[in-house]
Amino acid sequence: MKNKTSCRTIEILNLSDKELIDLSAKNVLSLSLDEMKSVQPYFRKLKRNPTDVEIETIAQTWSEHCKHKTLTGIIEYTEEKYSKKTKRTYNNLLKETVFKATMELNKKWCLSVFKDNAGIIEFDAKNGVAFKVETHNHPSALEPYGGSATGIGGVIRDILGVGLGAKPLANTDVFCFGNPDTKDSQVPEGMHHPKRIAKGVVAGVRDYGNRMGIPTVNGAVYFDDGYMANPLVYCGTMGIIPKNKIDKKVNSGDLILVVGGRTGRDGIHGATFSSIQLDQESDVSAVQIGNPIVEKKVLDTMLKARDLNLYRAVTDCGAGGLSSAIGELGEKTGAIVYLDKVPLKYDGLVPWEIWISEAQERMVFAVPPKNKKRIVELFKKENVEAVFVGEFTKDKKLTLKYNGHVVASMDMSFLHDGIPKPKRPAVCKIKEEKVQKPIKMTSADLSKTLKSALSDLNVCSKEWIIRQYDHEVQGQTIVKPLQGTDIEVSGPGDASVIFPYTSVNGTKKGVVLSNGLNPSYGKINTYKMAASAIEESLRNAVAVGADVEKMSLLDNFCWGNPNKPEILGSLVRAANACYDMSKAFDIPFISGKDSLHNEYSIGGKKYSIPPALLISAMGVIENAANTVTMPLKNDGNKIFVLGVTRNEIAGSVLAKIKNIKDGIVPVVYPKESKEVMKRIYKAINNGLIESCHDCSEGGLAVAISEMAFAGDKGVKVDIDAIRTKGKLSAAEILFSESNGRFIVEVIPENESKFREIFKSCVFAEVGCVTEDKYVIFESTKNKIKVKEKSRNLLKAWRNTISW
Amino acid sequence: MKKVKALILRTAGTNCDYETQAAFEMCSAVAERVHINSLIENKDKIFEYDILAFPGGFSYGDDIASGKVLANEIKNKLGDKIKKFSLSGKPVIGICNGFQVLVKMGLLPEPKLFEQVSTLSYNDSDKFECRWVYLKTEKKVKNESNCIWTKNLPDIITLPVAHGEGKFIPVNFKLLEELNKNNQIVFRYSTRNGAIPEYPLAPNGSVEQIAGICNTKGNIFGLMPHPERYMFALQHPAREGFDGEYGWGKIIFQNAVDFVK
Amino acid sequence: MFEIDIFTKEGFKDSRGEHVLSDILGIGIKGVKKVDYSPFYIIDGDINKSEAKTIASELLSDKITEGFKVGFGTQEKKSKNPIIEVLYKKGVTDTVSESVAKAIKDLGITKDVKVKTGHKYYLHGNASQDVLNKIAVKLLANTLVQEYKIK
Repeated sequence: MKNKTSCRTIEILNLSDKELIDLSAKNVLSLSLDEMKSVQPYFRKLKRNPTDVEIETIAQTWSEHCKHKTLTGIIEYTEEKYSKKTKRTYNNLLKETVFKATMELNKKWCLSVFKDNAGIIEFDAKNGVAFKVETHNHPSALEPYGGSATGIGGVIRDILGVGLGAKPLANTDVFCFGNPDTKDSQVPEGMHHPKRIAKGVVAGVRDYGNRMGIPTVNGAVYFDDGYMANPLVYCGTMGIIPKNKIDKKVNSGDLILVVGGRTGRDGIHGATFSSIQLDQESDVSAVQIGNPIVEKKVLDTMLKARDLNLYRAVTDCGAGGLSSAIGELGEKTGAIVYLDKVPLKYDGLVPWEIWISEAQERMVFAVPPKNKKRIVELFKKENVEAVFVGEFTKDKKLTLKYNGHVVASMDMSFLHDGIPKPKRPAVCKIKEEKVQKPIKMTSADLSKTLKSALSDLNVCSKEWIIRQYDHEVQGQTIVKPLQGTDIEVSGPGDASVIFPYTSVNGTKKGVVLSNGLNPSYGKINTYKMAASAIEESLRNAVAVGADVEKMSLLDNFCWGNPNKPEILGSLVRAANACYDMSKAFDIPFISGKDSLHNEYSIGGKKYSIPPALLISAMGVIENAANTVTMPLKNDGNKIFVLGVTRNEIAGSVLAKIKNIKDGIVPVVYPKESKEVMKRIYKAINNGLIESCHDCSEGGLAVAISEMAFAGDKGVKVDIDAIRTKGKLSAAEILFSESNGRFIVEVIPENESKFREIFKSCVFAEVGCVTEDKYVIFESTKNKIKVKEKSRNLLKAWRNTISW
Repeated sequence: MKKVKALILRTAGTNCDYETQAAFEMCSAVAERVHINSLIENKDKIFEYDILAFPGGFSYGDDIASGKVLANEIKNKLGDKIKKFSLSGKPVIGICNGFQVLVKMGLLPEPKLFEQVSTLSYNDSDKFECRWVYLKTEKKVKNESNCIWTKNLPDIITLPVAHGEGKFIPVNFKLLEELNKNNQIVFRYSTRNGAIPEYPLAPNGSVEQIAGICNTKGNIFGLMPHPERYMFALQHPAREGFDGEYGWGKIIFQNAVDFVK
Repeated sequence: MFEIDIFTKEGFKDSRGEHVLSDILGIGIKGVKKVDYSPFYIIDGDINKSEAKTIASELLSDKITEGFKVGFGTQEKKSKNPIIEVLYKKGVTDTVSESVAKAIKDLGITKDVKVKTGHKYYLHGNASQDVLNKIAVKLLANTLVQEYKIK
């Protein structure tokens, strides 16, 4: 194996530990010493050194991004609460928490969970809906536009590559950025300014999503200095798939077809790169640039090929490129690939580069030989490049050839199962939370605080972003991200609903998409952060009319360096919350992804990001027309608050504005909440609710104000009527962020039926919609009266982000 | 009775073809999505259809300028046939990217001319925006314009727009006068009450708030807003609709289908 | 090799230029009064000047709002003011160039051409070399995938 094959032999058989570590570092393999030492005996047995192609293949297959080895490894966890220690060992954290809950719940309507490129639940008798959310953090820090564009492009391919391919119906996007008002001098050397990152990321998602013709309908943006040098970019896609296209199976003898974009040096080492910390000298070839039109052509054509049954399996080329895609499809059979047949963007790529390149817009198909001609013709008709590069064998080996020479030959079992299980310690010291000193504020101060809360970066309108996305392409977005009572004024919708009438003839059903995220709780308590994110995602969905019995969840953990026991410990806590909440709410997780090592260095000092767990929720609604929006509708209607307001201020917007250090982070009470959620679905379907809004960041004051200005209405609220637990001040009642609460608008004639439905829940009538267009919060007990024009509150909410 | 047949021309980057197909089907026409390659292979196939639609999207990524690459391709490879189809008086519609294509190949404002004399340029805001707008259909349009697509509409309607290059600019004042004189300006951005709007209700800075135009004969119609996204009330932000059920797009597509019948 | 420069005709709004100007002001740089934006295309292949002109007028420029200049090698619109020129680095995917190459064939010019696309920003007002570099690096070019020249 010499020069003519353009591949090198890598000496490892006789290397010392130190030399193995150096080799891994020098070649950006990201393999640990333990892993390098597991490679040695395999090749000793073969009595030869590996080629560069082989070593790169192993590095890709065993990468954090492809294998998730941290969380599938052994974790020895110690929890300390009130100086009492408990210990537990996890052999596979997510399998023993998130996934375990799903298995135990065992829902019949979960059609494919945690095994394919996306989770699939039942839509109707003939179709399923698939949902996947991915992260693309490090590339977006370096090249915000290209990074986020390839992020969305990648997750769309996950949907194209689930089962035999689903048709994308909607995208979601959630970002965490540094403060956009940061002074230039405070931005770490070599990093982009957070505002530039934000603008670039939005533009990338916009240009890719819009060109693909997939509406971006749901999302969130969270600003915190902790994300300045390491932004988080979550991209999701939901698609629809016929039930009989969910299973895929590769047969020995099937041909390997590569379809779509050409292969270049793009993103080489992207998979291994995702587990390396960011610093100034980060590897530049890891950056990819996408071409959405190539992917759109693949989408147009492959669904035709799917419906003609021309292939038996498909997957996308994501992290690790062909090595991962073909390695995955051929795991049970074996595969032989002729690397010289792979179409290239330009000359000069050596075999290992071809094999692991992460060039975008490529899909790999397993095609029965009899369909060889037809499938290529179908692609050719619409100018899509499709080239056979090899076949699936039955020898259970991976064989790679280049110009007639074997450049790699390894057992699939070694590649997929040869990775040693790492062992990591994790600790979590649970901080005791205590109630803050009573927060007393004057009416004037409350007014000012309300405006500050509305214009806070994490509450304010994201209209500047949302309108740049074509959130209505396909014509199916019937609950939109921005909501008003006519077309001019708009407030923040809780969730979006897709009514897939062009894909499913005659359907009445809808798909609801929502999310929950709150890193500020996680700075204090990651268990409560996770639980709150789960509940928030459900509340958001329920507020528009989702059936809480037909919901499913996705988890996306973005964490710091897991080699630090306390960081890994905080993740274990969050994973435990996922299990507990999934069980308590009786709602399964169907897919998930983690991104660890979100750490960056400034001036030699290392920082981990604030942990962020994004929960995305998807549900199927029986009748898409039975959904509601959040703007207040008519003068004279009554306002009710459902749920209990507790003294839970820690991590809140109020705590941030007033710099309050103490306080309790909001707790989730699943039993209480779920009862309310079930009844809201019933009330909406009986036509008893005019508008409904979830209460989260900024508490009741913000949520009620939003409903008023979105509807261009006034509202009068009696603070004393709000049901609380314990004694709370007016400020605490208005700004506490307790979970489990909704605000609803009811026509007086419907009141008694409405009360009947909720009679076993805690709720109260708190006010009414008024025609004078003032938002009023009043407490005679505390002699408080906050009175603001709803137009002024709209202005405060609207004007923060306008770039 | 024979069903009315609509051809929806698509290519790489077209993305409103399914909902446009659905729109025609809701008006009981048969609509087929046809790839430009197959039409170039069999050019006369176009005459099997009664209606020709250029749907929205980002043809060829809208590289160079919106609709430019597709307009160039159609003009050079299908020009004669498209012109013949258009001059025959059969209904033709270009929506959003389709409008950009019609204008850039010169089928609008006058197919006889078949030369670009107006353009759809970058929005004044320099960004892509998706929002709902009011459109003024003007009394005289309904009564005097030849436009077959916009009959029976009220004075003010609402439709969504979603574009980055929608600023209509005619080559000179003379052309603008002619468009006005011939009642070819069938849609203008407007306020709720029919007054001249400001941004964002004027989403792109179009000359005289122009949102849609037709040719003098009235069979060819191009517009930036998306009528196919407002066929039924559920699609409206506040779920409004006429007869409690339909969106204004329904009237627009039905007009063309009825015209053919 | 031809370079084709596209510019906004007098009397039409240069939205992109205005946007860049507001970004420049937004990062606290004073002195720049106006920015003219001009995309440009480098067409490499066996074509003659009249073909290059056809490509410029029929394809790359808008007949109503834009003008063009075709020249051998690289060139600028006459300008006393500094120009920041941004191009993709070698090997970085340039999606527009592929569309241009396709469209040239559609025009009936069947010779094989290679296309590169770039952006020029003509800056009016006062800006030192340092400031120009800052504008280029902070706003106009990402040096990871693009290179820029100040002329």
